[in-house]
Amino acid sequence: MNDFTLVLKNLFRKKLRAILLLFSILSAFLIFGALGSFYKVFTAGVEVAAADRLIAVNKINFTVSLPLAYVNRVRSIEGVRNASHASWFGGYYQDPRKQVQTFAIEADTYLEAYSELVMPDEQRKAFMETRDCLLTGADLVDQYGWKLGDTVPINSNIWQKRDGSSVWEFTICAIFDGDKETVPANYLMFHYDYYNEDLAFNRDQAGWIILNSANPAMNDDISKQIDALFANSRAETKTSTESAFNKAFLKQMGNIGLILSSVIGAAFATILMIVGTTMVMAVSERTKEIAVMKTLGFRTGRIFRMVLSESLLLALLGGLIGLGIAWALVDLAIGPALAGFLPGMGMTADVALIAIGLMLALGLITGILPALKAMNVTIVDALSKN
Amino acid sequence: MFKQISALTKLNIRSIPQRWGMSLATVFSVALVVLVLMAFLAMANGFRATLSGSGSTEVAVMLRKGAQAELNSGVSLAQLRLIREAPGIARNADGNSIVSGELYVIVDGLKRTTMTDVNLPLRGVEPDALVLRQGLKITHGHMFSSGSNELIVGEAILREFAGFDLGSEVRLGTATWKVVGVFSTGGTVFESEIWADAGSIQSLYQRGSGYQSVRAKLDGADGLKALQDWAENEPTLDLDIITEKEFFSSQASGITNIILYMGWPLAIIMAFGALAGAWNTMYASVEARTREIATLRAIGFAGFAAFVSTLVEALLLAFVGGLVGSMIAWLVFNGISASTLGGNFTQVVFAFEVTGEAVQSGIVMALIIGLLGGIIPSIRAARVPLLSVHSG
Repeated sequence: MNDFTLVLKNLFRKKLRAILLLFSILSAFLIFGALGSFYKVFTAGVEVAAADRLIAVNKINFTVSLPLAYVNRVRSIEGVRNASHASWFGGYYQDPRKQVQTFAIEADTYLEAYSELVMPDEQRKAFMETRDCLLTGADLVDQYGWKLGDTVPINSNIWQKRDGSSVWEFTICAIFDGDKETVPANYLMFHYDYYNEDLAFNRDQAGWIILNSANPAMNDDISKQIDALFANSRAETKTSTESAFNKAFLKQMGNIGLILSSVIGAAFATILMIVGTTMVMAVSERTKEIAVMKTLGFRTGRIFRMVLSESLLLALLGGLIGLGIAWALVDLAIGPALAGFLPGMGMTADVALIAIGLMLALGLITGILPALKAMNVTIVDALSKN
Repeated sequence: MFKQISALTKLNIRSIPQRWGMSLATVFSVALVVLVLMAFLAMANGFRATLSGSGSTEVAVMLRKGAQAELNSGVSLAQLRLIREAPGIARNADGNSIVSGELYVIVDGLKRTTMTDVNLPLRGVEPDALVLRQGLKITHGHMFSSGSNELIVGEAILREFAGFDLGSEVRLGTATWKVVGVFSTGGTVFESEIWADAGSIQSLYQRGSGYQSVRAKLDGADGLKALQDWAENEPTLDLDIITEKEFFSSQASGITNIILYMGWPLAIIMAFGALAGAWNTMYASVEARTREIATLRAIGFAGFAAFVSTLVEALLLAFVGGLVGSMIAWLVFNGISASTLGGNFTQVVFAFEVTGEAVQSGIVMALIIGLLGGIIPSIRAARVPLLSVHSG
């Protein structure tokens, strides 16, 4: 019998108690795994933002458009490698309550700006050459059961054609995906010209301008130059990096980070108390045994390690099971269900690593006091009780 | 029997301090579960109350078909003129129908807590807008004058966002606007808005003579039906017409549901964790009293009395936990002002609301934890064999 067997036997000496503790630890790590993954995908827009990408929007607000002519003027600024523009279409497919993110874009420059969007070469060519092509995100293809060659009508809840209708007909001739899991592919894009020429109002306007700097070090300088260029005009601009823009947008939802971390904090405070007090009790029940072990020649260091190993084992067992359930829940159930809304939801390696770190911390914190107590058991006192 | 139960229960509860560590852990873990639940409920209730309190059943909102939100909608001047003559709309003393053509655009503001840009609604209104919002009061300054670049702001805007204080100047496009008044509507969503003259907004946003939505005071209970029937037969009116109440409650449900769909499962998972803790604590309690229970059984106490007294201990610990959690929730969360992006893509300011109903849910959840955590240990207490007198 080695020490590990002894630790294991001690842990499961009272089976029900051990199972209940495992269950309790499991619950906290389930919450951590699920919320951590959610937060990760929620803030993915900030992480996938390219360092050299900037967004220029109307200073009044980003929902207010800019004159299309601005795009060329931005291009002429030194240090701007590429500039494109996009407009919010307010699209929906069949049901007005189910919006589909849809953008009217300037195709070649946009795909150059977002090089993480990938598709087969022949599809890219088809998109460039087909006026009414709908460049469709891979996630939406799955969601709506579309395929290449389908004709789909997309309604706009904002724009109208000159004939009074608000439906644009498209052919799906290309399907894009992100080059990484975290890059969303849950939206639609089409040629700006195809929409602009039919617009009843707001023609020759761009929703916002996307540009790449030749070098991220020039970002600040370029932003200032753009905003200075359009200062005192009818449409002043506000230029920021893509990541700053996305971060600010997420903050509009409220302090989601604080809410999630408070919940996780509460869950961990709960198990700290439960596991902590139970471990203290479990070890004090064994005082006599520990005294016997010491009598048999177990060194105090060894006893200390054994008690600590027990709490670590408990935390790791419960934690890993909880994390496993969280993984199954996130990757197999919640992720697919939310694919249209929060694409790419899944447990990432760093969430799992942080969880393992927390398991170790939990094991150490709940084990240290009982371990010290066990180490300091004096043979005479313990055996003379009763 | 009752005597036995009450005697044993008293004995039991008096012995709690002997196990204060685990008992406290149980109380606090239940309290934390309840606290988390209450936080989510307070958030959801506050948001819902703000939006559903905003809509009136006596006001109709008209949007372009399929627009869903004022931001996306468009209504032409010709359509507005037609609506002014429509049936089903109440008229004022001068015999004019009470109608306001409105615009809804978004401007940047600065959220005070994070100092980041947020979307704030700027509403262009006609004079009847004041009549169409019940309880609207100008609390500071004065109303904007028509055709001017003057703004009035809701009290919630003032509280949560910087840049729109009374008297301050705001640059939008090439023009400078001045905040000349502050208004209150008794906590409704309109307090999260900035208002200006409709004509001024049309020229600022190059909307020509177009509007985005129309609000009209309905003429009695049949007004809506009359208005809808009439609009149905007007080929130039392609509008969705609903009551304002309906309009806002459809906006409330989305976010409220997200909060509730997150809050309940989280609280329930945490409750399972706390349940395991309570179960453990009660087991320890029964174990510590095994000899005592056996002795009592030997002198004639019934097993049932031991069962009840143990269950009461579990329920008591959980109840205290639920109470503590609710109390902390009420002290910490009630009335907290927060804002989030609402259905119109702009900030909605709302206050957390810890309602009596939520407290009830919290206490019920605590008691369920106590019941489920205590029942098996209680059964065990009832079955302590008499021979255990010699144990220990």
